[in-house]
Amino acid sequence: MSLIDILARVDVLCKKYEKYDVDKQGGADSVSGQDQFAKLYAVVEADIEATLQKAEAAKNEKNRAAVATLNSEVRRSKAALRAELPKLQKLAAKKIRDITKEQQAARLDMVEELAARIDEISDGVVVNRQSTMLGGKAGMSKPMEIRVDTMDPDDLMRPEHYEDTEESTSFRQEFQARKARQDQGLDVIAEGLSTLKDIAADINEELDKQEPLINEVDTKIDKAAADLKNTNVKLKDTVTKAPYTLHYDHNKLGLVSILLDFG
Amino acid sequence: MADSLKHSASSSSSALSSQHPRLLQAHDLLRKAEKLTKLSLFNWSSDWVAATPLYEQAATAFKLAKVPDTAKLCYEKAATGQERLSSPWTAGKHMESAGQLAKELGLIDEAVDSYRRASELFLHCGKVQPSADVLSRGARAVEDERSEIAVRMYLDACAMLEEDGREQMAFDNYRAAVNLYVKLNRFKDAAAVLVRWGQSADKCHATQSQCKAYLSAVIVHLYDEDLKQAQQCYNDCSQVNAFSRSDQSETAEKLLSAYCEGNPDEIRHVVSSSHIITHLDHTIVRLAKQLPKGDVKAASVVEPGDDELNEEDLT
Repeated sequence: MSLIDILARVDVLCKKYEKYDVDKQGGADSVSGQDQFAKLYAVVEADIEATLQKAEAAKNEKNRAAVATLNSEVRRSKAALRAELPKLQKLAAKKIRDITKEQQAARLDMVEELAARIDEISDGVVVNRQSTMLGGKAGMSKPMEIRVDTMDPDDLMRPEHYEDTEESTSFRQEFQARKARQDQGLDVIAEGLSTLKDIAADINEELDKQEPLINEVDTKIDKAAADLKNTNVKLKDTVTKAPYTLHYDHNKLGLVSILLDFG
Repeated sequence: MADSLKHSASSSSSALSSQHPRLLQAHDLLRKAEKLTKLSLFNWSSDWVAATPLYEQAATAFKLAKVPDTAKLCYEKAATGQERLSSPWTAGKHMESAGQLAKELGLIDEAVDSYRRASELFLHCGKVQPSADVLSRGARAVEDERSEIAVRMYLDACAMLEEDGREQMAFDNYRAAVNLYVKLNRFKDAAAVLVRWGQSADKCHATQSQCKAYLSAVIVHLYDEDLKQAQQCYNDCSQVNAFSRSDQSETAEKLLSAYCEGNPDEIRHVVSSSHIITHLDHTIVRLAKQLPKGDVKAASVVEPGDDELNEEDLT
């Protein structure tokens, strides 16, 4: 057996028994507990990174629809991550050998750090921290925050809660303007479509009108072709049967050749 | 008649013989044909079999040489010849050519007669389509001078085609008739023809043309400042299923309700914003753009069947 063959056999055998390779699997079962936490921690961190990237993309995106989609995705992943955190905390609290007390404490800190990072990810919800508001809000105790899904009963009782802010009026106006533009575009499309419909209906009628005419032409031409064929055959017979004379008619020969090509 | 023919032939031949050898030839042909057909002491029967092709050749030669009156005469003779030879088809064709030349010469009544004769000849052969075609061509030729007669011809052509079951081909004739009536400002007749067009379209299931015809009829009545007629027309036409379901009937309804309210701005708005009206025939669109014509007063809506059922009448 040559060296190459030996190498190939070694490769195959290694592949076959890969699952017994301790180094590849990365540690025995005893360490799996630690690995579980580490694994989950790694997964959560990766998710956070991905979500952060999406948030960045949302900030740079020009298309409003894409921004809204990305923001909603970011919010969804944040909620999912927040759900993962309790699991992580439980794992961190579990006592595992080969791990020092400091490391365990450090783990709990890591989990809290993760929680803070998740909250930090911007998801498009506008948090109004500015204290400079419109005149209508002068003399208010605390600044208005726009929060999704959180309704403070105090907020509801406050009358300014239902007034239009500058942002909301401008948003409303923008909405109306865009809607009007959309309507215009739809009107143009409707006009084009009605013209198309009219033309199509007229074409339909034209075709209905011409169908019987074409059928008639068809039958007439069939008849004419049959007649021509018959005539050709008869002519051919006549010409070939005629006795050969020195004075042959040039015209007839020419005509015959044309007709024979035809038929 | 033969003398005048010879006289004209000889005079024109002497004037133009130097320039048109073909013209000379044509005159020769004509003379020969005349000799064959003229009855005299030596000629007891006219030899039309030989004369007719001579007449035809002479006619084409004269036409090319731009001598329309002689050409016309030759065509008429040729037509008679073909008739005698029992070939009404060619006879009809010659009569049509004679009619065209007559119109060129300005002899409109003769032209009308020639076209009608041609149509009869085609009917003899049993060919309805060419007969109607020649009538409509004739009508188009004379419509400027004799509009009444032209309209008659158009409508006769339509009747002929409908009898034969080819209503589809009649649409062009209807359209021409309507345009003529509108030009003559005879709006009631125009509307009547439009409704007849609609009926014809109904028979051959041409829904688009039918609905357009009905809408055009309503518009013509409104242009004629006859709101009552327009509403009655609309009510009658709505009995037809195909029309009542169409966009055209919606537009008609909008227009009529705007008229009932007596609001000219609304009327103008309906006309200008409607896509349906723009697709009608251009004469009708022109009328529609001029609506509302005259004063618009708010009128009451005529209910369908108002005339028959009178609740006060207890007899």
